[in-house]
Amino acid sequence: MENNVDLNELWGKQRMNPPQVQEVVSQFSKIKKKNLAKVFAVNGLMLITIIAMVLLWQYVEPRLISTKVGILTMIIAIVGYLFVYNRLIPLLREVDENQSNRAFLEAAVKLKQQQKILQTSMLQLYFIVMTVGLCLCLYEYASLMPSPWSIITYSLTLIWIGFNWVYLRPMVIRREQGKLDGIIKGFESIQQQHEH
Amino acid sequence: MFEEIYKKYWQKIFRLCMGYVNDRSLAKDLAQETFIVVLKKLPEFRNESKIDTWIFRIASNICLRQIERQKRYPKGNFPANLAEDDQASMEPKIKFLYQCISELPEMDRIIISLELEDVKQADIAHIVGLSSSNVRVKIHRIKEKLRIKFRGYGE
Repeated sequence: MENNVDLNELWGKQRMNPPQVQEVVSQFSKIKKKNLAKVFAVNGLMLITIIAMVLLWQYVEPRLISTKVGILTMIIAIVGYLFVYNRLIPLLREVDENQSNRAFLEAAVKLKQQQKILQTSMLQLYFIVMTVGLCLCLYEYASLMPSPWSIITYSLTLIWIGFNWVYLRPMVIRREQGKLDGIIKGFESIQQQHEH
Repeated sequence: MFEEIYKKYWQKIFRLCMGYVNDRSLAKDLAQETFIVVLKKLPEFRNESKIDTWIFRIASNICLRQIERQKRYPKGNFPANLAEDDQASMEPKIKFLYQCISELPEMDRIIISLELEDVKQADIAHIVGLSSSNVRVKIHRIKEKLRIKFRGYGE
């Protein structure tokens, strides 16, 4: 049984040898490099896709306007995705740590909610625009094929799109939303502690 | 300048994080993260607030952000803690205090950690965003809770 325990004294006895300052500095630059590498990877992959589409346009020389519109639509979808990924989402991830806990929690909840809306609508729009673009592109080449082949090509493509639409799209959106919902709920429950 | 701040505040920030998570390895990570933010934001620091209030504010917000980390890397996905260092040899009463604090609601953990770190109550109010009187009441209640727990300790 302890009656006169000095909490301050006990508290101060907890110690850990600090890592070298250089470790913090190098970790800082490592994080920067890692983030940069991730941005490069996503952007690089998307840019390669765009280049492939442009080359396709040059070498295959589509005659129908629908194919050209299709390629442009897909490029717009990718550029739009990159814009949101590079510009808007990082803004929503950054919550300024230099504010009171109360203000920080409010800002965090608000930003996470905005991120949720943005990510969901961006993913929806990306899937829709890509599907439209792909169908438009496919029209010219499928129409040149003998009809059984064009039916098979279109059916396979539509099955793939259907799989994306019915399975992949909701799964990705649900996963992202689930993560953000959990974080929002956690922040809100801490926020409520300010009221009591 | 950064090196001075680092030397002066490392233990304090580590203890604050430790009060929040009661896991030395995780607390070390959170303290490191705090100093990375300090390093990044130091050029923007304008002396509008005291440097210790500023650092504690950053550290406590990083502790609150722990929720995001948990969602990204659920418990159990972390590598086993290889650096348990001197915790085993630590006085049991110290371990008990940190365990009790880490079981409190999140905001109470931050408030009591700052109080035990001898931060003025007016500064604690600025850090957490509550009125001074509210902070005073909370500290009184939390200390009472801790005393009750310690009364049962060792029985």
